[in-house]
Amino acid sequence: MNTPEPVSLRLTFFQRRAWLVGVAGLLVGAMGLVLNPAQFFRSYLFAYLFWLSIAVGCAAIVMIYHLVGGAWGFVIRRILEAATRTLPVLAVLFIPLLFGLSFLYVWARPEAVAADPLLQHKSVYLNVPFFLLRAVLYFAVWIGIAHFLHKWSLAQDRTGDPTLARRLETLSGPGLVLYGGAVTFAAVDWAMSLDPHWFSTIYGILWIVGQVLTALAFAILVLRLLARQEPFVQVLTPSHFHDLGNLLLAFVMLWAYVSFAQFLLMWSGNLTEEIPWYIRRLHGGWQEVGIVLITYHFALPFVLLLIRRVKQSPLVLAALAAGVLVMRLIDVYWFIAPEFHPTVGGALHLSDALLLVGIGGVWVGRFVGQLQKLPMLPLRDPQEEAVVARPETA
Amino acid sequence: MAYEGQERATGIATVPPVVGPGYTPRSVNEKISAIVLTHPTSRGWLVGFGISFLLLLLLLYSVVYLFAVGLGIWGINQPVGWGFDIINFVWWIGIGHAGTLISAILLLLRQEWRTSINRFAEAMTLFAVACAGIFPLIHLGRPWFFYWLLPYPNVMGMWPQFRSPLVWDVFAVSTYATVSLLFWYVGLIPDLAALRDRSRSRVGRVLYGMLAMGWRGSARHWARYQTAYLLLAGLATPLVVSVHTVVSFDFAVGIIPGWHATIFPPYFVAGAIFAGFAMVLLIAIPLRKFYQLEDFITLRHLDNMAKVLLATGLVVAYGYMMETFMAWYSGSPYEHYAVITNRMTGPYAPLYWGLILCNVVTPQLLWSRRARVNVPLLFGVALVVSVGMWLERFMIIVMSLHRDFLPSAWGMYYPTVWDYTTYIGTIGLFLSLLFLFVRFLPMISIFEMQELVAEEEHGAPRRAATETAPAAEAVRVSG
Repeated sequence: MNTPEPVSLRLTFFQRRAWLVGVAGLLVGAMGLVLNPAQFFRSYLFAYLFWLSIAVGCAAIVMIYHLVGGAWGFVIRRILEAATRTLPVLAVLFIPLLFGLSFLYVWARPEAVAADPLLQHKSVYLNVPFFLLRAVLYFAVWIGIAHFLHKWSLAQDRTGDPTLARRLETLSGPGLVLYGGAVTFAAVDWAMSLDPHWFSTIYGILWIVGQVLTALAFAILVLRLLARQEPFVQVLTPSHFHDLGNLLLAFVMLWAYVSFAQFLLMWSGNLTEEIPWYIRRLHGGWQEVGIVLITYHFALPFVLLLIRRVKQSPLVLAALAAGVLVMRLIDVYWFIAPEFHPTVGGALHLSDALLLVGIGGVWVGRFVGQLQKLPMLPLRDPQEEAVVARPETA
Repeated sequence: MAYEGQERATGIATVPPVVGPGYTPRSVNEKISAIVLTHPTSRGWLVGFGISFLLLLLLLYSVVYLFAVGLGIWGINQPVGWGFDIINFVWWIGIGHAGTLISAILLLLRQEWRTSINRFAEAMTLFAVACAGIFPLIHLGRPWFFYWLLPYPNVMGMWPQFRSPLVWDVFAVSTYATVSLLFWYVGLIPDLAALRDRSRSRVGRVLYGMLAMGWRGSARHWARYQTAYLLLAGLATPLVVSVHTVVSFDFAVGIIPGWHATIFPPYFVAGAIFAGFAMVLLIAIPLRKFYQLEDFITLRHLDNMAKVLLATGLVVAYGYMMETFMAWYSGSPYEHYAVITNRMTGPYAPLYWGLILCNVVTPQLLWSRRARVNVPLLFGVALVVSVGMWLERFMIIVMSLHRDFLPSAWGMYYPTVWDYTTYIGTIGLFLSLLFLFVRFLPMISIFEMQELVAEEEHGAPRRAATETAPAAEAVRVSG
C-alpha cells in the first residue's frame, strides 16, 4: 500500500467531468447576472455557503483528529486534507459576491442606512470596507491553517519525523480557536446580516456544527466511494464505519440541540427583535421545509444511526450520509432564501440549481485533483500502527 | 479494536502512563481496599471530617432558623429575588456534571484513562447534586409544599405550570440524581463484593455483603453487569447535557436582558463541565497525595483533565464574547446596558472583572504542558476556576436583576450572614459526605484497575470498554 498509487484513470476522468460540468453551470448561471442580477447573487450566496462549509468543516475535523486521534480520523485524513486544499479556489469564488453586496445586504445600500438609525449604529461593523477586510482575514485564517496542516502532513509522509505529529497537535489547539472565531463572524457577516436587525448569540455555533456535520457526511460518502480502491480495500473494516457513524450521530444530535435551543428561546420569548426570523420561516411553505428538516435532518438519521448494523454497513451508512448532505443543503437554503422570498414557491429558481452545480463542479474538480496528489492514506502517521488493523499485510 | 494500544503508541516517550509500573491485579486490589479495610483511621481524616461536620451543623442551624423565621433572613428582596440560593444551586449542579461526564461519555468514547477517576468523580456528582437540591427547596416560601411541583392528581384540581422551566428543572434534576445514583451504585457492586471478601470484621462482611447483593463474580454476572452498565451509560449521557440545558432555560426563557440569550444552553453545559472538572481536580490532587495514589491517578490524568478544563474554559469564554458582541450588535439599549455598561462599569464591576480574570485569563496557563503537570499550580488554577464559576452565576443572576428596564426599580443586593452560613454549610455537607466516602468505600474502581493492569501485564489487547466480556475473570474475583 505504500506506493503512492496514481489512482485510477476513473478519478482523473471524474475530475475532468466535474470541471466541465462546473464551468458549464457557472457559465449558464452567469446569464442570470444579466436577466435577474438580484436572484443571481442570492443563489450564488446559497450555493457558495454550502460548498464552503465542506471545506471549512473538513479543516475542523482534521484538527480535532490531531488533538484526539483515533482510527476514524486516520482513514479519512487525506480526504479531509484534500477538501481543505480547495480553500484557495473558494477564496477566488468569493470574489463575484463582492459585486453583489448591495443586492444582498440592506446595510450595503447607503440610502437604506440613512433611513434606519439601527443600521447607522451597526455601520461601524457592517460597512463594505470592513466587511472586505474581515473576509480577507477569515480566508487568511482558514487557508493558513490548511496550508500548514497540508505541509506538515506531506513532510510526515516523507520523513516520518515524530516531532511533526507534535507540531500538528500544537497547531490544532489554537487552530480550532481561530477557526471557531472566523466561522462565527463569517456567519454573522455573510448570512446573519441578511436581516441586519436580527441577532442570535448561538448563530455562530449553528454554523460551526452545520459545517462539521456537512464535512463529516461528505467524508463518509467519499470514503465509501473509494473503499474498493487501493489502499483502502486493505485497511477499512466495519469498525471504521462504525466509529464514523457514531460521530455522525453525535453531530446530528448536536445540530438538533443547538437548532432547538435557538427556536425554543426565540419562540417562547416572542420578542419583536427576534421573532421575525422565525415568522419568515414558519409561513409561506417554509414551515413545511422546517418539518422536513426536523424529520429527515434529525429524526430519521437519529433513529437509524442508533442501530449498530446501519453504522457497520459502509453502503447503508454512505447512503445515510448522502441523505444528511442533501438535508444540509436544504438547511442552508432555509437559512438564506426566506430572507428574500416570503414563499417557497417564489424562492425556487433555476439559478439555484445552476450555481449549485457550477460551484460544486469546480469545487469537486479541485477536490479530486488534490486527492490524487498525495497517497490516500498517510504513510507515516504515528497512529498508523496502533489504529489500523490490517488483516493481510502484517 | 481500532483503538487498542493507541495510548501506548501515541506517546511512550512523552506521555506518562495511566498506571504506575509494577502492579499486579492482586496488589491493586490490596492497595485500594486496604485504604478502607486495614488502614487505621488517620488523624488527618478525623480532623478533616470534624471540621466538615461542624460546617454541616452550621447548615442545619441555618436551615432551621430559616424555616422558623422565613426568607426575610436572606438578602433577597425586590428587585433581586434570586440571590445566593439560586447562585449556589446552579454552582453545585454545575459541579455535579463532571462525574457523569467522566463515567458515561468517556466510557462510550473508550477513553480508558477515566478508569481511576470515575468512581470518586461520580460520588462527587451525587454529593454536589444533593447540595444543589437543597437550595431550590429551601428557597420556596413554604418549603413544606414542595411536592406541589410534582404533577399528581389532587383534590385541588391543580397542576404545575408545565410551560415553566422551573418545573422542567424538577424533572431534570430528580432524573439526573436518580440515574447518577444508580450508575454509581451499579459500578460499585463488584467492588463491594471485593470488600466483603476481604473484610476481616463481621460487621464489614455483613454490611458490604448486603450492599453487594449476592455478587459472586460468575461469568454470567459479569456479562449482565456489562450490559447494565453500558445501558446506564447510554442513559446518563443525554442527562449530562439536559440538566444544565434546563437550568439555562430557567434564565433564558425569561426575557430579561442578560438572561435571554440563545447561546445559554451550550454555554451553560460547557460551564458546568468546566466547573465540574475543576472540582474533580480539587479533590483528586489531595487524595492522590494523602493516600499515596500517585501510581493510579497519574500525571497523565491531571494532564488530560487540565486539557478538558482549557477546552471548556474556551467555550465559556466564547459565550462571554458572543454575549458581549451581540449586546452591542443588537443595538438594543437594554441589552447594551445590562450586558456591557452595567457589568463592566456598574456597582458590581469588580466581580465581573474578577470573573474574567478567573475564567478567561487564568485557564490560558494550561496551554503550557509544563503548567498542566505542575500539580500545585494546577490545584491553584482549579481553585480559581471554581471561584470564577461562582462569580459567573452571580453575574448572570444578580447583575441582570438588580437594574431592569426602569431606573426607578433599581436596587442593590447585599447577602446577609445567613446567606453565607447556608452556602458554607453546604460545602460542609459536601465535604462530610466525601470524607465518609473515602473512608468506607473504594475511591478507585478496583476491578476496572485490575483489568487495566492485567492487560498491561499480559500485553493482551485492550478490548474496548464498551465491548468487554468477562475476559479477565480470574483476576477480577478477589479473595
